Amino acid sequence: MNESDPIVFVVDDDASVRDAVKRLIASVGLRVETFGSTGEFLAANRPQAPACLVLDVRLPDVSGLELQRDLAAANIHIPIIFITGHADVPMSVRAMKAGAVEFLTKPFRGQELLDAIQEAIARDRVAWNERAQMAQLRARYDSLTPREKEVLKLVASGLLNKQIGAELGASELTIKTHRGRVMQKMGADSLADLVKMAERLDPSSRTYK
Amino acid sequence: MESNPGLHRWVSAILRCGLALALVAAALGLTFLLQSVVSTAGYLFFYIAAIASAWFGGRLPGFIAVVLSVMTVAYFLPPANSFQVNRESLPIFVEFSVSALVVGWFSSWRRQAETELQYARDELQLRVEERTAELQHSNSQLLAEMAERKRAEDAYYEAQAELARVTRMSAMGALAASISHEVNQPLAAVVTNADACMMWLSTEPPNIEEARAAVDAIAQQGTRASEVVRHVRAMFTKATPERTKVQVNDLIREVSVLIEGAALRNQVALQTELGVDLPATIGDRVQLQQVMVNLILNGIEAMRDVTDRPRRLLISSLLENSDEVLVTVRDSGVGIAPQDEKRIFDAFFTTKAQGMGMGLSISHSIIESHGGRLWASSNADHGATVHFTLPVDHKSTS
Repeated sequence: MNESDPIVFVVDDDASVRDAVKRLIASVGLRVETFGSTGEFLAANRPQAPACLVLDVRLPDVSGLELQRDLAAANIHIPIIFITGHADVPMSVRAMKAGAVEFLTKPFRGQELLDAIQEAIARDRVAWNERAQMAQLRARYDSLTPREKEVLKLVASGLLNKQIGAELGASELTIKTHRGRVMQKMGADSLADLVKMAERLDPSSRTYK
Repeated sequence: MESNPGLHRWVSAILRCGLALALVAAALGLTFLLQSVVSTAGYLFFYIAAIASAWFGGRLPGFIAVVLSVMTVAYFLPPANSFQVNRESLPIFVEFSVSALVVGWFSSWRRQAETELQYARDELQLRVEERTAELQHSNSQLLAEMAERKRAEDAYYEAQAELARVTRMSAMGALAASISHEVNQPLAAVVTNADACMMWLSTEPPNIEEARAAVDAIAQQGTRASEVVRHVRAMFTKATPERTKVQVNDLIREVSVLIEGAALRNQVALQTELGVDLPATIGDRVQLQQVMVNLILNGIEAMRDVTDRPRRLLISSLLENSDEVLVTVRDSGVGIAPQDEKRIFDAFFTTKAQGMGMGLSISHSIIESHGGRLWASSNADHGATVHFTLPVDHKSTS
């Protein structure tokens, strides 16, 4: 297993339930990390990989539902599967509305949990890929010189090399050279590709109005 | 009459004086009538007129009649036809005057005494009536107060019974939630481990080590669940915070008062046959009350559908073998079905639509923790009897 393999976090204050869930998840070859409280989970280093959280509603420090709210507020997006001893309808509705993948009542069948975990990881994988791509793009953009960033911005806004040259007070040839380096650094195959990248980096830069 | 007493008094006085005048006139007439038959009529009628005037009119009309009669007599005495009285007629005249005065005064005095007596009698009658009315009023007030008091008492006992029920139910609810959570956790672990075990056995090749660990965990969690159940039982049997001297008969009386309302509502005749001079037992008064209430309410409930015979609940106490007090609660209800006899003391066993099946089970535990026994039997005719014993407190008897 390596760093980018999917991982399941389990937070339950009952060690026996925690261990059983860990054993079950491990049987399908997924990575599992368990925590006895929300505090432990928040303090832990979470690997950069598609993940999901199996969360007990009733926890000693911060309840599962509060943790769900706190994570959303901290912009940490991780799909959550709730497990609880006794679920009432308002509680489950609240959890599902806040984006939970599944709400299981103990004792639940192993397959139900595994199915929910697969779905949650699939969801997170999409989101995670999105985030990874974005991070890569951001890194490439950061490698541009200030001049190149300006050129990229003006190219993306649809100006010709000559117009850009006039704008920046440089010759058309110089701009052409900058543009070539920008294409190379950003890993763009075409002008259209580059424009798309610019838009993803800065959605407000869309120029075709 | 009441509106003008002054006027009334004057009219009455004039009428009474008129009466005296009329009576004297009548006496004169009668005397003349008699004189035409016999030579000397005497003064009989004048006496009568004086007496009657004094009697009916009072002192003044009596005196007026006497004066008028004396004048009349003087007029007719020799020398006749004049108010002059000569020497030989004087004794008769004086005799008449004095005797008429005396008779008139006596009559009026007598009349006044009688009037006063009558007045006193009337007064007494009035006072008696007033007093009677007063007594009747306070009597009805007392009755109303008693009814009000009875109502308040009923409401109080009903509220108390309701409170006891609610307390019992909410305590049971909290307990049930806690127990279900405590049991549910190991059960969840058992189910998940069982599923994990199956998963590990179906991998290629099967992972026997992991499967074994899962089965191990199942055994552990099963044991943990049974521990929880054992603790719950221990909670009922060992939690005996207070041990005081308890008189079983006092207990029965207290509980009977509590239960009276429920019995009344269900048309159940509550009867007690309490043993005389029972020795004290030792126990937790509240727990024992709870047992009594449970047994009695069960009995009442068992008679809910009984319509063809009296609903009778008999609570009795007696000393058995000189070291145990035996209490029985006998009802005339539907009785215990033979197949249920062994199970009625099991937790969660109930035949009632809304029962929790905890009453008899808890009662059983409580009595056992007191060193007594609790059992049930079917009656020969109808219904069931629940019996329990409590050991006698020998320290207090020796």
